[in-house]
Amino acid sequence: MVAPGLAEIFYYLGFIVVATLVPIIALFLIVTPRDAKPSPMKLETYEAGQMPSGRGRTRFIIQYYPYLLIFVIYDVVAMFLFAWALTLRTLQPPGSGTWPILIFMGVLLVPLAYSIHLASQRDLW
Amino acid sequence: MADPISDPIGFSLEIMTSPLFFKVAVFPGLTSIGIIIALFIWLDRKITARVQLRVGPLYASPLGGVLQSFADLIKFAFKELFIPRNADKFFFVAAPVLALIGGAGLVGLIPFTPEWQISNLELGLPAFLAFVTLSPMLILLAGWSANSKYPFIGGLRSLFQQTAYEIPLWLSAIGVVMMAGTMNLIGIVQAQAKPWYVFPGMYIPGWYIIPQALGALLFFITATAEMERIPFDLPEAEPEIIMGWQAEYPGFLFMSAAGASFVRLYAFSALFSVLYLGGWMGPAPVPALLWTAIKIIIVSSLIILLRATFPRVRIDQLLRAGWTYLLGLAFLNIVITYLLVVGPRI
Amino acid sequence: MPDIAFFGFAAVTVLGAILALESRDLVYGAVSLGVSFLGVASLFFLLDAAYIGVFQIAVYIGAVVILILFTVMLVGPAKGEGPTEFRRTALFIGILVAMMLGVGGALASPSAFSTNQPCTPECDLAQFSQSLLVTYSVQLAVLSLVFAAAVIGALTLAKSERGTA
Repeated sequence: MVAPGLAEIFYYLGFIVVATLVPIIALFLIVTPRDAKPSPMKLETYEAGQMPSGRGRTRFIIQYYPYLLIFVIYDVVAMFLFAWALTLRTLQPPGSGTWPILIFMGVLLVPLAYSIHLASQRDLW
Repeated sequence: MADPISDPIGFSLEIMTSPLFFKVAVFPGLTSIGIIIALFIWLDRKITARVQLRVGPLYASPLGGVLQSFADLIKFAFKELFIPRNADKFFFVAAPVLALIGGAGLVGLIPFTPEWQISNLELGLPAFLAFVTLSPMLILLAGWSANSKYPFIGGLRSLFQQTAYEIPLWLSAIGVVMMAGTMNLIGIVQAQAKPWYVFPGMYIPGWYIIPQALGALLFFITATAEMERIPFDLPEAEPEIIMGWQAEYPGFLFMSAAGASFVRLYAFSALFSVLYLGGWMGPAPVPALLWTAIKIIIVSSLIILLRATFPRVRIDQLLRAGWTYLLGLAFLNIVITYLLVVGPRI
Repeated sequence: MPDIAFFGFAAVTVLGAILALESRDLVYGAVSLGVSFLGVASLFFLLDAAYIGVFQIAVYIGAVVILILFTVMLVGPAKGEGPTEFRRTALFIGILVAMMLGVGGALASPSAFSTNQPCTPECDLAQFSQSLLVTYSVQLAVLSLVFAAAVIGALTLAKSERGTA
């Protein structure tokens, strides 16, 4: 994958660069001819009809943060599973990747079962 | 490493007059993405209206209001951009624009036919899914930067929702990779060319939606959650938090944010038809590009129909379903696909 | 030309990391860390390790930066406050890290290690997964134990948070 693959990535990067320039130019074209008339009311945030009060960046839903930790871990698991899925049929002693990956997924099913168990106790989830 | 480019000016002139430039600029590139976003917005409003026994956009053209969304785009472009006080100006402006660019990047990876593709990356499928993982960050930044309560809540909800449903999305796509043996999107479509069962006279096409029924269903559900469409539109919940993370966005930025959502509808429908419905393949008299268009329109119409009919899922139900049941079903799909692939040789 | 690309991506990586450490607003710091990871991913692409580059984007920028951003947004200091005082312990730690990097760089020179599986031009994804699943299969199984332990730990954190709330 030396020259051809790199050329494809190059074309794709070119597309991304062009796609980046177009909205920036559009934004520039929209903003430039306008003389802005800011008024205090325009600068307020929107709170469905009442004057906004309190801090803007309040602290919410902080208790779901372990989900982000689990997400990081399963993202890495997905990387290993993709590598296995690609070469499922072409592993050298045929059928040799089976047991390792079954053990891999089996061990990962234990926390999944734990989370299903936790989900059944509603006030802990 | 690649050979050095010997003549930069000649090289760039060669690029500009090549079919690649046409592909990037017109189809399936930027101009077509803009037009297709407008058409999808119209399709969304029309289907939702018809399901709800209304008429939908009607007056903007003799053809049932097709030009309505173009008129809306022009209107949005001329609105004043005001940024709330104490907002983070850079991210407020940058986040929806980056989301739009990310969506365009998703479309650039998809093969519409073997000739009409911007770039055929060897790792097309993981590259698509990697771009999808970038979007929760952008929405979180957008919600945070407005310095207002409702957008921030919407941004946090979007973060949790999208990270919860990304892992089942990855794992349901693994089933396709297992059956095709490649991660190249053109290769995946070509691997579906073998007929599944041959009757005398006709055949059932070997599209992966048949053996991968569970995987396709999981992909459909998780993609709808990734796009934040109803029934998963909690971050954008209209009566509750007033458009959520999009609440503070004026004119052009709102158009970027909504446009990003519809680009992802287009990209996910196209990826679904590439992975599970056989891409551009179909019986002969209809051209390949038209087959792709038909399949994309069918999948998007299904997703839009979901919007018109279902109520919204609550955040704890949503997270519980994503992390327990959908993840378990995704693992089950991997095991079933493994038996389908390896089974005939046991 | 490849050297220009390498220096460009390396510059992005280093600048992103410096900005991540030095910026006053922690959110900007987290985002420039993401940019730095993008530079690392580009270096992976230059080294023909496209698979790892794609997953670098997906895992680091898509997950780790999100985690850092979430933490900073919810529990970080208010905008504009950042650590500004110069402490002597910081200088001492900096010298220690520089020494460690110097020793590590000396060890990583090609003469120090001899690999028993040199990476030929066919060293691509198929070979990576072959070696992962066949040669190092026991290590893969042990790795799964590490992942499972991490997930169970996170779930326990979730449980105890709600339990005491």
